[in-house]
Amino acid sequence: MNERTLSYALLVPAFVIVIATTIYPLAYSFVTSFREWDLTKQLRPSGFVGLQNYAHAATESGFQNSLWVTAIFVVTSVILTVVLAMSLALLLRRTGRLHTFTRIILILPFAMSPALIGVSYRFMFNPEFGVLAKGLGAVFPALEGTPWLANPDLAMAILVITDVWHWAPYMTFMCLGGLASVPRETEEAARIDGASNLRIVFGIILPQMKGVLLVTAVLKTIFALKMFDQVVTLTGGGPGTSTETMAFFIFNVGFEWFDMGYASALAWILTIITMVISAWYVRMLLSERKMATA
Amino acid sequence: MNKYIAYWGERALLVLISVVVLFPIGWMFLTAFKKPRDAYSLSLNFEPTVQNFVTVFSDPWNLGSMVLNSVIVAGATVAIAVPCASLAAYSFSRFRVRGRKFLFFLILSTQFIPAVVILLPFFLMFRSLGLLDTRVALIIVNLAIVTPFVIWMIKGFIDAIPTDSEEAAMIDGASRLRVIKDIVLPMAAPGILTSSIFCFILTWNEFMFALILSRRDAVTLPVGLVSFRTERGDLWELMSAAGVMITVPIFIMALLIQKHFTRGMTAGAVK
Repeated sequence: MNERTLSYALLVPAFVIVIATTIYPLAYSFVTSFREWDLTKQLRPSGFVGLQNYAHAATESGFQNSLWVTAIFVVTSVILTVVLAMSLALLLRRTGRLHTFTRIILILPFAMSPALIGVSYRFMFNPEFGVLAKGLGAVFPALEGTPWLANPDLAMAILVITDVWHWAPYMTFMCLGGLASVPRETEEAARIDGASNLRIVFGIILPQMKGVLLVTAVLKTIFALKMFDQVVTLTGGGPGTSTETMAFFIFNVGFEWFDMGYASALAWILTIITMVISAWYVRMLLSERKMATA
Repeated sequence: MNKYIAYWGERALLVLISVVVLFPIGWMFLTAFKKPRDAYSLSLNFEPTVQNFVTVFSDPWNLGSMVLNSVIVAGATVAIAVPCASLAAYSFSRFRVRGRKFLFFLILSTQFIPAVVILLPFFLMFRSLGLLDTRVALIIVNLAIVTPFVIWMIKGFIDAIPTDSEEAAMIDGASRLRVIKDIVLPMAAPGILTSSIFCFILTWNEFMFALILSRRDAVTLPVGLVSFRTERGDLWELMSAAGVMITVPIFIMALLIQKHFTRGMTAGAVK
């Protein structure tokens, strides 16, 4: 076998998998998104209805609500995660036993199943016997008896906390990786000149970390847009519809209402939103890199 | 004085971070060993019991079959995805294939797709093929999630291996396949192992697909958690015992690869 044939042959198995498990289903749901298909009434899809499913999304309140919920969730969780991860990385890049210990255990939240994280936070915030609900009540008597997960804003806050707890440690490793490639010389020179720690961080380190921070932000945004697991196990979308993220809402349209056409259209809207945001980040990243090499 | 505050402040902060990380995990482990009565109190003074583990492994919970499902699904996904991805990663790393950039971008961009968009068609396809509630179905969908990711990770590791020894061996007349088998594979082994464990963790924790594609026979551990929500309320001590079963194997694996953990990913991402 010559080199050229081999170079393609090596790609074949992986591409067979990707085409069969991603490209084909994507095409399938794209086609379905233009059809009327209520699974409770018909086993096979009926005719095409043009953009009707998409038009429905523009006016339907449940979907509008999930857009809003997702927007709040994405913005808060991305900002908190990136800021926290960068701060942790600055703290953890030094050497020391306690530093090493903390770095090692930081792997655990990432490895924990998100569904289980949701379950365990639900347990800890149970107003009757949850350890965090009781503990906070003991320290701040005003909080005693707060129905944490029954309050829309608090439920959203706890949902964000579980997600930050899950992802910030992982993103810390990414930031640590980035910090390792920032040359130490400028920093040390500035220190000798008597620059304060804050000035060193904001004036010297962070500007060089822009690329890494952007990558972290893109990844976190993509993950946050898909938020589903903890919604199911922590809040169930409630109270009311206050934590119904898009992925959760689409899931319900598909598997509670069995409206396949509408669910497919919504899923495609989410996909397009994700693509647009990713493309925007990638553009920022590329212009950032051009500036860095110029 | 200032230095003193900075020194102890930094240590106090590190301890606080460790507590925030370990507390939810530790509380779950404690609860798993509590009697039902103690699980609903905050007392640390309790008589530990393994009864919860006995209960979850017997009727009607049968956690054993869920463990088996999770092991088979995650194991098979790794066994299929990693070899295929390694070959593709090598090709992407070493050959100037026409349209290589486009193909690689195509693979990567599938990572941006929200899983729910492929869940709907998979549900419909598996329903008409009679594959709902089977492990095969779960393996197929998990391949969709992990394959592009593993290609990206392993390519990062292979990129970091210098090509000199490969070229030398080929000048000596070794074939490309032989070079891959005898030179590249051994050198990439730590990276491939790291990627495999990563892939195993992702599959093991996968929730959305398993929630809808399994009902009784193919239920995996994360979905099994939901079944401890009963008419009598949430059975926290049993959920915690199941939680311990989910986390322990994964924690061990994660700690094993801790050192290499983000190298592959950051290398690929930052380049």
